[in-house]
Amino acid sequence: MTHLTETSSTGTSLNPLVREDWDALTFRVHRSAYRSPAVFQQEISRIWGHTWLYLGHETEIPNPGDFKTRTLGGRPLIFCRDSDGEIRVFFNSCTHRGTILCRFKEGNTKHFQCFYHAWVFSNNGDLAALPGDEAYTDVPEFRESMRLRSVPRVQSHEGFVFISFDPDVPDLMTHLGRAAHYMSLTASIGPKGMHTVPGVQLYSIKGNWKLGVENAMDGYHFAPTHNTFVGYLRETGFAVTDDDQYAYDLGGGHGLLILTGHNGRIGMVWEPRFGEKEKERIAAKRREMAERLGPERAAEVADASRILYVFPNLLLFDLEALTIRQLEPVAPDRTDVRAWQFVERDEPAEARELRIKTMVSFVGPGGLATPDDIEAYEAVQRGIEATADAADPGIDWSDMSRGMADEKAGRQGRSIDEGAMRSFWRHWASLIDAEEPGR
Amino acid sequence: MGRRTVTRAEVEDFLYQEARLLDEWRLDDWQALFEDGARMEVTTTDWGGWELSSAGAFMADDHDLIKARVKRLKSRKAHAEYPRSRTHRLISNVIVLEQGDDTVSIAANFVIHRFRDEQTYTYVGRYAHVLVVDDEGLRFRLRRSIPVNEVMDPGARLSFIL
Repeated sequence: MTHLTETSSTGTSLNPLVREDWDALTFRVHRSAYRSPAVFQQEISRIWGHTWLYLGHETEIPNPGDFKTRTLGGRPLIFCRDSDGEIRVFFNSCTHRGTILCRFKEGNTKHFQCFYHAWVFSNNGDLAALPGDEAYTDVPEFRESMRLRSVPRVQSHEGFVFISFDPDVPDLMTHLGRAAHYMSLTASIGPKGMHTVPGVQLYSIKGNWKLGVENAMDGYHFAPTHNTFVGYLRETGFAVTDDDQYAYDLGGGHGLLILTGHNGRIGMVWEPRFGEKEKERIAAKRREMAERLGPERAAEVADASRILYVFPNLLLFDLEALTIRQLEPVAPDRTDVRAWQFVERDEPAEARELRIKTMVSFVGPGGLATPDDIEAYEAVQRGIEATADAADPGIDWSDMSRGMADEKAGRQGRSIDEGAMRSFWRHWASLIDAEEPGR
Repeated sequence: MGRRTVTRAEVEDFLYQEARLLDEWRLDDWQALFEDGARMEVTTTDWGGWELSSAGAFMADDHDLIKARVKRLKSRKAHAEYPRSRTHRLISNVIVLEQGDDTVSIAANFVIHRFRDEQTYTYVGRYAHVLVVDDEGLRFRLRRSIPVNEVMDPGARLSFIL
């Protein structure tokens, strides 16, 4: 175990792993926060075990009986709509011996049958069939006690379904706070609503989940990391700027970047690569939005791109088009990523095609940009091994100080500063009770 | 039946030559294998046979994006591929499915190993291409890669051409 070197007599330790110094205007995170199995275990138990988590969108299971299986915080779950249309979330584990009850990724069913001893559960959780039940005493009570286990809390906002493994958390809307408004903005883009589509990007990065959060809240990396993507846009006739782009601390660890002039927005802000036909459609759609939402709200929805982070595991990219990204921590150095395209209901086929082509050309492991982000997460994860247990423990810290003078002066932080990362880390520091920095 | 019959051997030659160009990172030569207006697609691992114009994908490139991708991959600023991965492609189970007037639909299996940063990544899948046939040979009209992996291995991004 190494010990913290006092680099400043005035620095404040938010937590042994997160230090901010308002005199020196420095903000530092100890690199064991990305490496340590003990920190990771605490994150799973304290954050994933006691916070609202994004599970999925209700349009993934539109019909009674539809289900998806998905692991969240390491716990296998069934996300389903019962025969009465109600959304249910169960632990995907037979109440009898704990077998994975549903071994399919998705489907439609009235019943889930465990293959091991053939117990059958209705899609509302009732134990519907108990083979050889004459050998149990008080069968009705036994059946009731062996219902499929629901996760303690399930609530949704704008179709985004969240769960909590802790029954005692405040309501979802309290958790979402100011983030809820920005989810509503995105949800109101389509006149008939929005939905997810199949074609889910499932991939896995060799990096800590917090590197994925930082990257999304970090406009500073955009120009150097995405040099080739910026070059591609320039060739299509569009110049990306960093001007007029700001970062917001939404409280509760949630963060937001509002990006004006960063990119076009399909159906809302034209860019040459969208083509002339889309220009006409945008004019019509903006009129429709202004009528439906009122001019002010329509402008707020449409004018600027947004990247919203909802603590701890949801990123909502409202850029050229829309992607919902979920982060699933697997190990200190591994994160599973799931990404859904989020589209307007009943949009014209050519608009859909443009949306898919444009969004996946940027976002996702096969895009022209995300692979360089993944390279960054993974290069950080490998690079921070260099200073672990270093002879001088003062060098094992990462810096996120950019823009602190503006923050101290009360000026709105720019997206190219590191303020949205600092607000994330401050919230994280309030939840994790780390020991002195170590490996 | 088209203007001439395309044999499996001709398709195999085409696919093997393509694999060689990609493994040698001869991307300009590779790009010349596409006709004007061609598409390149990589489906997601949950793909259920739908058109990629309506649902999510890993890649859904039109011809302009194919060219942009080549330009990017040749740049020293394509950080995910600079330094470049080593790739090693094995292609087999080649089948000529259907020959039209000027096209041929083909299927093949692939195993691609990618090596980078002392790590190994394995990509397993199949191709379902539509090739244009003319007197000169074959070119891509639609180049579609269908990964068979359930999820991508940790670290197995698609920063190269699958």
